[in-house]
Amino acid sequence: MLSQYLTGNIACVDSVTSWEESIRLGAAPLLKNGNINESYIDDMIANVHEFGSYIVIIPGVAMPHAQNKGGVNKSGMSLLKLTEPVMYPEEKAVNLIMVLGAVDSNGHLDLISDLSTLLVDDDVLQALEQAKTETEILHVIKQAE
Amino acid sequence: MSNQFANNQATASKPSVRAKIQAMGGFLTNMVLPNIGAFIAWGILTALVIETGWLPNAHLAEMVGPTITYLLPLLLAYTGGRMVGGQRGAVMGSIGAIGLIIGSDIPMFLGAMIIGPFGGWVIKRFDKLIENKIRAGFEMVVNNFSIGILGFFLLLLSYTVIGPVISAANGFVTSAIEALVATGFLPLLSLINEPAKVLFLNNVIDQGIYYPLGMQETLEVGKSIYFTVASNPGPGLGLLLAFTFFGNKTSRRTAPGAIIIHFFGGIHELYFPYVLMKPLTILGMIAGGMSGIATFQLFGAGLVAGPSPGSIFAYLALTPRGNFTGIILGVLVATIVSFIVTSLILKFEKSSDEDDDQLTESIERSKTMKSEGKQIYSSSDDSAKTSAVNKISFVCDAGAGSSALGATTFRKKLQKADLNGIEVKHYRIEDAPQDSDIIVVHKNLLDRARMTFKDQKIITIDNYIGDPKLEELLQQLAKNNH
Repeated sequence: MLSQYLTGNIACVDSVTSWEESIRLGAAPLLKNGNINESYIDDMIANVHEFGSYIVIIPGVAMPHAQNKGGVNKSGMSLLKLTEPVMYPEEKAVNLIMVLGAVDSNGHLDLISDLSTLLVDDDVLQALEQAKTETEILHVIKQAE
Repeated sequence: MSNQFANNQATASKPSVRAKIQAMGGFLTNMVLPNIGAFIAWGILTALVIETGWLPNAHLAEMVGPTITYLLPLLLAYTGGRMVGGQRGAVMGSIGAIGLIIGSDIPMFLGAMIIGPFGGWVIKRFDKLIENKIRAGFEMVVNNFSIGILGFFLLLLSYTVIGPVISAANGFVTSAIEALVATGFLPLLSLINEPAKVLFLNNVIDQGIYYPLGMQETLEVGKSIYFTVASNPGPGLGLLLAFTFFGNKTSRRTAPGAIIIHFFGGIHELYFPYVLMKPLTILGMIAGGMSGIATFQLFGAGLVAGPSPGSIFAYLALTPRGNFTGIILGVLVATIVSFIVTSLILKFEKSSDEDDDQLTESIERSKTMKSEGKQIYSSSDDSAKTSAVNKISFVCDAGAGSSALGATTFRKKLQKADLNGIEVKHYRIEDAPQDSDIIVVHKNLLDRARMTFKDQKIITIDNYIGDPKLEELLQQLAKNNH
C-alpha cells in the first residue's frame, strides 16, 4: 500500500539549506499531483515553528504534516532522501523526510499502518539509509510490506 | 505489592454500582463545568438589565431570553455530545438540542444534557458501523451526509417529542403543588419546588402559581408567605457555600462568583448547574427550602409582592414592617440547613471516591509530578496506576499524522504482547475522549493537552514510535495483566 502511494513521489538529493526547504522540496510531488496546495505546505512549516520538531518521529526521520484546513484534496505521501542530513529545530538531524497529506484523521490508516511496520524495523531503516535512488527505496519498502 | 494487584484486578473486572454512579456524576460535572462561565455572563447581564434589575435597560434586556433559551442549552448539548462522540458528536448533540429548544417554551437544560450525549452516541455508533467500509476519497461525503441525515431525524424526534413532555411535566407540577397547598403544610412544597426550579420550571411555578396565590392573600391581609416559598435565596446560598468549601477544585474556584450573582443579584439560575452536576445535592436544597418555609410560617412572616429577581435586597425591600425578624431568620436558617446537608453530601461523595477509586489518587500524583516539571513514568511504585487502563489515546495537533502513527505502532506492540481489551486510538488533542485513562502526547504539546485533560494521566514522549516511555508503559501493562 505504502509503495503504491510513494511510487513517483520519491526524490533523492544531496543536501538542502534549511529544514523549511526540505519540507517544500519533499512536498513538491504531492503539490504537482494535486494532492495538496501551497497553503498546506505553509501550514506544515508553521506547525513546526509553533510546536517544534515533534514531527521528527524517530531519530533521522521526519514526517511533516498538519491539520487539513482545506489544503489537502487527496490523502498522499511523498518521500525525500537527503545524503547530507539537515537540522530541524531542537538540533535534530534528519535525512529522511516523509511528507504526509491527510484529508481527515481516518482515511489513510492503511498507509500509516504500513509506515509503522516499516519504522519499527531496524533492518528496514538501515536499508533505507543505504538506498540512493527511487528504485532502491521502493524495493526496500516493497520487501518490508 | 502483589496483593494490591489482585485487588485492582478484582475492582477492574467488576465495577460496583457505586463506581458506576460516580462515573455518571463525573460525566455530568464535565458536561456542566466548562460552561459555567457562560452562565455567569448571562447572570451578570440579567441581574443588571432586566426591568427589576439594577440598571434596567429594555434594549439590552432583549438578550436575556435568547441567551438562556439558546446559548446555554446548546453549550451543554455540544459539550455532552463532544464527550461521547468527539467533534462529530458535538455537532450531532447540538442539532438535537435545537429541536428541543424550539419545541419548548422553557429553557431546555435537562433535555440538552440528555440529547447532547445521545446525539454523540448515535454518530459514534454509526461511524463504528461503517468503519473501514468507505471507499477512499468518499470519506468527506459520507462524513457530512451521515451527520446531515441522522441529524435531520434527530431534529424531528426532539422537536416532536419534547412539546408533549414539557406540558405533561408542567401539568404534573401544577397539580402537585395545588394538592400540597391544600394540605396547609407548606414546607412540603419544597419537595416539588426545588427539583422543578433546577429543571428551570422556576418561572412557571413562581409566576404561574405562587404569585397569583400571593397577590390574593396580600389583598386580604397585606402580605403573603407564598411570595417566599420558591424565591428564598437562602438554600441556593447554602449550596454554593458548600461547593466553595467542599466541592472539587474547579467548583471551589467558580462557586464564590456564582454566590454574588445569585444572592445579591437574585439570579437563582446560577446555582442550578451545580445541582445538575451533583444531583444528590438536591436533598440539601429541599431541606433548606423546607426549613426556610417552616421558619417563615413560625414567625407568620410574608412579603408584600413577588421578589423578582429573588435577591436578598429585593427580599428586604418587600418585607413589611414587623416582619424583618421572620424573613431574615427564614433566609438564614435555610442557608445554614442547606449548607450543612450539601456539605455532608459532598464530603460523603468525596470520601467514597477515595476508598473506592485508587485512580483518583494516582491522577493527583501524576499532576503533582507534572507541576514539578518532570512528568516521569517510571518504576514499580507506579504500577498500580496502569491496572485499570482500558483506553489509551495518542494525541497530536491534527490527529492525523504523528498520533495515528504512534497509536498504530503501539496497537501492534500490544497485539504482539498478547494484551487484549485495551483501546488505543488517535485524536486531535481537543477531540480525544475525556474518559481516556492515559493520554500520550509529544512533550512540545503538553501544555495544550493539559488544557483539555486536567485530570487524566498524560505521558509525554519525544517520538511517537520508539520512545522509551512507551516501552515502559508496555511493560507495565504486560506486568499488570499477568
